[in-house]
Amino acid sequence: MEEKQTEYSIFEVFIQRTQAEHHVHVGSLVAPSPDVAIQTARENFLRREKAVNIWVVPRDQITATPYEPDFFTREMDRKYREVAGYTENGRLWRMFKEKAITLEEIVAYVEGRKARERKKQA
Amino acid sequence: MTEDVRYARFMERIERGEKIEATDWMPDEYRHLLIKLIHMHAVSEIMGAYPEKEWVPKAPTLRRKLAIMAKVQDEMGHGQLLLRVAEDLAAPLGKTREDLVEDVYKSRVKFHNVFHMEAKTWADAGVIGWLVDGAAIINQAALLETSYAPYARVLKRICAEESFHMQHGENIILALAMGTEEQKQMLQDALNYWWESLLFFFGPKEVTPAAERMLHYRIRTKTNEELRQKFLDKYVPRIWSIGLTIPDPHLRYDEEKKEWVYTEPDWEKFGRIVRYNEGPKSKERMELRRTAHEGQRWVREAMIRSRMATAAV
Ligand SMILES: [Fe+2]
Ligand SMILES: [Fe+2]
Repeated sequence: MEEKQTEYSIFEVFIQRTQAEHHVHVGSLVAPSPDVAIQTARENFLRREKAVNIWVVPRDQITATPYEPDFFTREMDRKYREVAGYTENGRLWRMFKEKAITLEEIVAYVEGRKARERKKQA
Repeated sequence: MTEDVRYARFMERIERGEKIEATDWMPDEYRHLLIKLIHMHAVSEIMGAYPEKEWVPKAPTLRRKLAIMAKVQDEMGHGQLLLRVAEDLAAPLGKTREDLVEDVYKSRVKFHNVFHMEAKTWADAGVIGWLVDGAAIINQAALLETSYAPYARVLKRICAEESFHMQHGENIILALAMGTEEQKQMLQDALNYWWESLLFFFGPKEVTPAAERMLHYRIRTKTNEELRQKFLDKYVPRIWSIGLTIPDPHLRYDEEKKEWVYTEPDWEKFGRIVRYNEGPKSKERMELRRTAHEGQRWVREAMIRSRMATAAV
């Protein structure tokens, strides 16, 4: 016997604020179809904020990790992988009478702006 | 809507500084230029990991080993992100991930000249991290403003990781620059070996017809020469400051013209390296890529089969 579906499906909602950003998960809703889910997402999550794109994804299509710290633990100090692991560069450059530079400065320079202006814009 | 009207609307969007998405209508020429650029970029990230990966087993300390391994992982990751962008563009042409990867070892896509070269010493590995990444960062920073949105978003993430690569490369170089006479000499030899490749990396001085079209569509907004000049601005003073000599007797800053004057690289020689894979390491690294991809084909196929078996239950 065919069972009648009486409940709406759950959709997870992802919103892209500007085209320079990726979609970000903002919450979920229930809807009878993806089309209605999109309409509802706009009403629920974008009453004030601006966005350029919405994705709705049926919850059962998402595969997630469990909330288990084990999966995310770092087995050791990982400073070698980060900018923060190289703070001595500044001191070393000074020994050579040069100053340290950051990637932000390079980006600003290439784009023909000052580093501070870019930060303000971001 | 006729093709002309569509094209005109598209160009209006570009000129207003709007970003184009994968699902938007776009002229074939725009699509092809993007595929060519992003495919080459993706493949260069992957082939770019090879010269450094060769130094993972030989790195001088455990910390250096971990750090260079982390960097190699990043570069492979960049390749993956960029291949996704290229795949979405190439899908309407019937091309898949398999095709884009095979293109590398079937010589159907080029990769940057620098990754055909040899990393003989630890100083070479350092110079790659400092200057090759430095040059790549200048290129990628300029592309952050590209008109193609999916590429711009991925580049934003890539650049965030490049800021670690920058510090990592500098740190290796600074250590060698403060080291023994032998280490300093090794560093100088590495600079001598890489200098010409670095200048070539930015591409021909003149704006080629293809580059002109990329500027037209704002896929790029800066010319090769502008970027090479910015690289020289940022890096030459630093190279000098650590006591190195740049192997170009004619290199100087022309105060009047406000630009660097330099001896041009051997365009012919490096052009052949990139076009015909004639560099000292081209064949070996492409062969490694082929073995990796084809040797693991059965694993990819087995995983797809097992997924289908579960789905069928
Ligand atoms: Fe990279
Ligand atoms: Fe890098």
